[in-house]
Amino acid sequence: MFLALREMRRTKARFGLVVAAVALLVFLIFIQLTLQNGLLTAFVGAIRNQSAPVLVYSVDGRRNLQGSVITPPLEAAITAVPEVGRAGRIGEGTFTATVDGDLADVALVGYEAEGLGSPTALTAGRFPERDGEVVANEADADLGLGLGDTVALEPGGLELTVVGQAEDINLQVTPTLFTTYDTYVAAVRSVNPDARDPLPNAIALTPAEGVTPDQLSAAVNAADPEADALPRAAAADETPGVAQVRQSFQVIFLLYALVVPLVTGLFFLIITFQKANALTLLRAVGAPARRLVAALLVQVVIVMAAGIALGTALYAPLSVQRVGSIPLRFETRAVVVWTVVLMLLGVLSSLFSARRVLRIDPVEATTGAGVQV
Amino acid sequence: MRIALRELRRRPSRFATATTILALIAVLLLFLGGLLDGLVRDATGALRAQDADLVVYSSTARDSFFRSRITPEERARVEAVDGVEAVGGLGVALLGGRVPGNGPRDLADLAVFGYELPPDGVGDPPAPGEGYADEVLRDDGIEVGTEVLVGPARTPVTVVGFVADTNFSGQGSLWVAADTWRSVQNANRPDATVGPGVFQSLVVQAAGGVDPATLAGAIDDATGGATRTLTLDEAVAALPGVEQQQSVFNQIIGVTVVVAIVVVALFFALLTVERTALYGVLKAIGARSRTLFAGVVTQALLVTVVASAIGTALAVALDLAVPAGAIPFVLTPSRVLASVAVLLLASVLGCAFSLRRVLRIDPAAAIGSAP
Repeated sequence: MFLALREMRRTKARFGLVVAAVALLVFLIFIQLTLQNGLLTAFVGAIRNQSAPVLVYSVDGRRNLQGSVITPPLEAAITAVPEVGRAGRIGEGTFTATVDGDLADVALVGYEAEGLGSPTALTAGRFPERDGEVVANEADADLGLGLGDTVALEPGGLELTVVGQAEDINLQVTPTLFTTYDTYVAAVRSVNPDARDPLPNAIALTPAEGVTPDQLSAAVNAADPEADALPRAAAADETPGVAQVRQSFQVIFLLYALVVPLVTGLFFLIITFQKANALTLLRAVGAPARRLVAALLVQVVIVMAAGIALGTALYAPLSVQRVGSIPLRFETRAVVVWTVVLMLLGVLSSLFSARRVLRIDPVEATTGAGVQV
Repeated sequence: MRIALRELRRRPSRFATATTILALIAVLLLFLGGLLDGLVRDATGALRAQDADLVVYSSTARDSFFRSRITPEERARVEAVDGVEAVGGLGVALLGGRVPGNGPRDLADLAVFGYELPPDGVGDPPAPGEGYADEVLRDDGIEVGTEVLVGPARTPVTVVGFVADTNFSGQGSLWVAADTWRSVQNANRPDATVGPGVFQSLVVQAAGGVDPATLAGAIDDATGGATRTLTLDEAVAALPGVEQQQSVFNQIIGVTVVVAIVVVALFFALLTVERTALYGVLKAIGARSRTLFAGVVTQALLVTVVASAIGTALAVALDLAVPAGAIPFVLTPSRVLASVAVLLLASVLGCAFSLRRVLRIDPAAAIGSAP
């Protein structure tokens, strides 16, 4: 053990390089995890964190809130399903707004009643009570969407005032405002004089007593082939693009997870070869093999721990920034899970080196053969 | 140099792990790059295909088709600007399309474009109710002659031909005449109805010798600030997410290249340490540091070439294995060449860390410590 630490102290550059490689890889994994989660939250947070247990799209909408249009016959068919407790319209559109003096994109989600498409919970302020009042995403306060701020939709100049804030309620990576359905309709009309009365984009449902969201979804889908009802979590997960983002990042994480142990494995394999003569001599003077393997493992754990610590230190300040419209946050759970996984992979990767140490024959000290390849 | 090559031939296993790591890094670079190319291609094809120099949006539209409305009066002002050769209206509706033979819930994702000036590879506007489909829509069972029922209003559009690389916002495009688009839009999106003669945007061809950027300013002046005119490249970059995706992916690719540099540096620094005595002997019998370092660089380049070849093969296999539409991954020859070039550069840079050690080797001391 003493030898392991002394070796590391004496060859700082050598161990420093491998720590730097591990740190960069760890940083890449963590920052991409944060990007993935931030992107998905900014993409479908409004669906995940709205209050209706079931959302019904039109099949034509392809599970995209803005692309879905609920025609009057479809709306009638949905609300007539016996398993429905309460039902309310949801409208959604993306608008240009003057925010803090500049033009910006905002998404507007209109709902008819609290519990049917409103944000699940507020972190500050209150729900809209009058026309022109909205709830904004808490993280967008510094963009000019804080409590009491007013924005104007363009063209038309319809003014909206932020009266409440909620966490993670953005949609399509756009600052999102939740408001009453009437305000949403007024917004559509204000920006497009040619527009007719907008049809709802989705119907929010709560199940009747004793009915689960899954049962309600199945009942609605069976009632009309034009209806595409989904429980809340499924509606978020099956939004177009979500699965693609997840799959793409999973491939990236898998590749990085392979590179980390290979880098540490390669490093310790090479230095085991380089120390062959010294290790053989140590074995010849009575050092037990397990002590040499323990020294190797200590070095692996120190290198991995230092690499992960340095990678986390690089990641921490970046994890609280914004990337465009995507607010990031420090992913504690992911950091802990990946730390354990990478530590295990690092130790596993050193087993090849440990095997070679165990195969050292002390007699070879007299012949100089050292570690057997 | 010859010793370096001979070592590679005789003891390839020594380089196997480094080759494996670099091959994985090559796959990472190609996957990240291919993902970026796929995302950008699927999002921007319809604009890149425009045979025009400028795209005109409403000034309040934030460069979005869906929030832009160009009235006939504004169009007339644009057409009257000196240096404008031709003007065409352009509009798009994102809708689901029902394809005969598919299930009632199995719809094709469509971007229905109404146009006047034909984009590259797209013919003149077809007859009312007809359209040219992008090739990606073949995966949805669409063929020439298929009547697609568009949107909840089931507006019929018959496919009369196919075009390539014209996707928009990740959806397969369907190119129809302006009036067909207007009827599709108005029947299916009452919240986004467009009046007679109204388009979401205009595409403008500049007269010969006219600078598009200057013309863009003149157009916006002529409309009294009601429009925002972008060059085609600017319009492509302004599409939602395009610049952000490029920025984020390029940063990740950059850090991955740094990892490659560190890996090569680590590997060859360790090999150089191992060979100190050997290099000492070689120096003692007249070998120059330059020659020894050239051998290290040669080994690094060859390892990288082999790793790149393996990485490219794996990336191609990945491309073939990924089901169509699951991941927007596109592997192009230019991306492969660029990634390999970057890796080769990284390997040379990584080797440079060993240069100092090679230069510092003292032949006399090295011979004294040689086994």
